[in-house]
Amino acid sequence: MWQRACVLRGAQTPARQCPPGPPLQWGFIFLLSPFQSSVKLKLICGQVLKDLQGEGIDYEKILKLTSDAKFESGDVKATIAVLSFILSSAAKHSVDSDSLSSELQQLGLPKEHATGLCRSYEEKQSPLQDSLRTRSLRLNRLDSVSWRVDHTLSSSELQTVNEPLVHLKFTVRDGDRGVTEPFAMTVSAEKFRVLLAELRQAHAMMKTLS
Amino acid sequence: MVRVTCSRWPRPQGWLDGTMLVLLEKLPADQALKFLHQVVDGICGRAYCRYQDYGSVWNLAEWMEVLEETTTFFKTTVGKNLSDEEAVQQLNELSSSYQEAITKCLKGRKEEIRHALVESISAISSAQLQDFDWQLKLALSSDKISMLQMPLLNLDLDVKENGEIKPVSVEMNKEELQNLINALEAANKVVLQLK
Repeated sequence: MWQRACVLRGAQTPARQCPPGPPLQWGFIFLLSPFQSSVKLKLICGQVLKDLQGEGIDYEKILKLTSDAKFESGDVKATIAVLSFILSSAAKHSVDSDSLSSELQQLGLPKEHATGLCRSYEEKQSPLQDSLRTRSLRLNRLDSVSWRVDHTLSSSELQTVNEPLVHLKFTVRDGDRGVTEPFAMTVSAEKFRVLLAELRQAHAMMKTLS
Repeated sequence: MVRVTCSRWPRPQGWLDGTMLVLLEKLPADQALKFLHQVVDGICGRAYCRYQDYGSVWNLAEWMEVLEETTTFFKTTVGKNLSDEEAVQQLNELSSSYQEAITKCLKGRKEEIRHALVESISAISSAQLQDFDWQLKLALSSDKISMLQMPLLNLDLDVKENGEIKPVSVEMNKEELQNLINALEAANKVVLQLK
């Protein structure tokens, strides 16, 4: 039965062609069945989806919603974990809600529950995927740029300069440590022009990619 | 004549009395122009001329001196924006063929030397952008999402501070790059107004 869950793991191939693998957490799917109403399951899904999008989760609410299922705290944790896993895996592999619904039903979830869960998923699929996209690994990010343009009049090296000079400060956020570090530098007008032209060129190429 | 090995400051001996660059005459006149151009290449940040090419003309001390003097001559003449006549005045101990070679070289490369000086000014008292490279990549997939398809730009800046080059690397997506370009455009507007 767990093999059918391959859609959730991204295989676009029919279930029987799925490579063998660990049975994952599919046993937990039955945890979702004791819910009296699919509405409650849907509300819990809403909380889990919020959590996945980084908006935080309201545990009080979840405890209230799970109270009639007579869950122990371990079961509540497992429920959240399994929902979180189902929803994030589905979003990760861009599974549409119909396929998700039929997979869940084949795994034994009542139709009503599966539909409710999938409706929540459908509503939030694209923001959820956006959030996964932004949470994907990124290296040093550019936090902010400050600039100042000076007009150099004269210097010990050159009596009359009359050239603009650009000061740039890049604040770079280190992805690993989460700290920001400023880098300040001066750029001659000529070099600055080249830098800007090249960045524009790169941006134009980037636009053609997406 | 006693000559003192010059340091950057005070100006080399002979600076004002016209004995500047007399050592140059040791070099055959037909090679002078080539040597002068090589010195200017060095000022402009390209390859410096090498002692091994001129070892038969000057000894090491003389080599250091002639190189320093020639560099200083070009930098000062351009830096102070001296006219050709004023420049030649410093060289009146030199025979005319050498003077000609120097004026010819100076005339041709004045702008280039000025440009090099303007570049070097930006390094005075602060870190300077030495060079930059960029790389455009398409991130395909990640542990979070299987179809990422996100174009990313890596910008590497070589920042030179106190003679040391420090690399700074930034990774930007399209929006972040757009923000950077917007900021630079704003600065560029001011730069263009100044010109």
